[in-house]
Amino acid sequence: MKFGLFYEHQIPRPRDKEQWDPDAEHKMMKNALDQIELADYLGFDYIFQVEHHFLEEYSHSSAPEVFLAAASQRTKNIRLGHGITLMPPRYNHPARVAERIATLDLVSDGRVEFGTGESASEMELGGFGVRREDKKQMWEEATREVVKMMTQTPYKGIEGEHFGMPSRNVVPKPLQKPHPPLWVASSRRETTMVAARLGMGSLGFAFETPDEAKERADEYFRLVREECYPIGEAINPALAAVTILSCFEDDEEAIAKGMEGAQFFAYSLAYYYNPFTGGNHKPGQENIYKDFIEAPEDKRWGAFGDAFRGFGGFSGGAAKEEPEDEVTRALWRAAQRGGCIGSPDFVKDTLRKYEDSHLDLMIFVAQCGARSHEDVMDSIYRTGTKVIPEFKERHEKHQQWRAEQLAGVEHEINSTI
Amino acid sequence: MPSKVDRIQDDALRGSFADAQAALKAGEYKKVVELSSAAYVELLQRKPEMLQGQEQFMNVVFFPRLGAHLVVNNDGRPEIVWDREKFSFSEAVTYFEFTIDKLLKAGL
Repeated sequence: MKFGLFYEHQIPRPRDKEQWDPDAEHKMMKNALDQIELADYLGFDYIFQVEHHFLEEYSHSSAPEVFLAAASQRTKNIRLGHGITLMPPRYNHPARVAERIATLDLVSDGRVEFGTGESASEMELGGFGVRREDKKQMWEEATREVVKMMTQTPYKGIEGEHFGMPSRNVVPKPLQKPHPPLWVASSRRETTMVAARLGMGSLGFAFETPDEAKERADEYFRLVREECYPIGEAINPALAAVTILSCFEDDEEAIAKGMEGAQFFAYSLAYYYNPFTGGNHKPGQENIYKDFIEAPEDKRWGAFGDAFRGFGGFSGGAAKEEPEDEVTRALWRAAQRGGCIGSPDFVKDTLRKYEDSHLDLMIFVAQCGARSHEDVMDSIYRTGTKVIPEFKERHEKHQQWRAEQLAGVEHEINSTI
Repeated sequence: MPSKVDRIQDDALRGSFADAQAALKAGEYKKVVELSSAAYVELLQRKPEMLQGQEQFMNVVFFPRLGAHLVVNNDGRPEIVWDREKFSFSEAVTYFEFTIDKLLKAGL
């Protein structure tokens, strides 16, 4: 199994002020670059940077290509993933996407992972005039054409359902041939099976139990072998999951320093993706963090709290019911929902279950909520030095399993797993 | 492990999904959506508890809304409403996978 970091660029509004401090966003961006530089030094394999618009507090990452370009100049080996690029043409014209991906691939010496997706929040869809019922069709058409723009000389052009352009030679071309590895955001289980059939990696949240995750991996690779019609010229068979990380010397410290950030991540996500709250958000006037802090403890996982049970997928202990002891209960909840909030031993225990279900890549949300930069750095350092090494030692065994799964596949493979 | 289609126990529904799978391979995406949606309506009619209380919300709202969506009429009958005629590959797969997972979970 490989490891990455996932960046939303969260920045809660101060509880006692109407707006952020003037330097808050600047500081957050610079801190994130420091964190990524450290992760690269420690041997993390990937970062994935989201693209979101207008989701104040939850995500201030609206120009990931700029941030990733900066990261490319601070790092040497870490793969630079879009997690994801919003593909409906009203967000990004497909030719501009092809140009930006190729340019980032060139300046990073071929380290781009091209993640794609549709978006789902009312703030974003409504802000750019994208009809919810058309967004998947837009994603598919745009993604298919962007890949052609990166590989055809000249690009032949299209009169599509959702955009059109004449033949042009879209330059530059990416360094990686035929194109960077392709991924799609898979927040719904069905999309993982779309990914398999189109030869794309699946970027999902870790919602499943071990048995479900294993069944999903088996089905995904069966489809890659038997029913794959690649959207690109090379396939990227890969299953990745996102979970929340807070790794400190002991469990109590990990909870004290990491639980609130994990809860705010879930709370603010639920706020924007629930149409009743996110759809009625008053831009520039709400304070989600203040509402979160003032919410009763049992509401802090947000409106989708029950759905988040299982976020992280695996119980950290044998208990089936919530333990009575406060710390154990918090850990149990973390294992139910976040999975990786605890000591290095606790985190490793959780990750071994993902490894057993053949997950290719675990991506950690380390920066979230009001966590301090110093704590995020500590958590990344401890994970890089005390958790990841044993998994790296076993990765060859996983690659052998993958080779067995992919035996007989005739499509070109350009996965970096 | 057998494919998901082969794991459907009900002969008629398994036949319907075999047809949908063939339609997917043939590029007949609307047919895939039609067959999948019809199977889902059949599932809801056979398992009316899926339309009771909170279950109704989960089983109606989470049905894909990508050019065809599900409504429950005043008399409690589930029905598919078509918003357009043309569907993409990924949309067809979404309807197919959503429905087949629900059928298997329901033990049909």
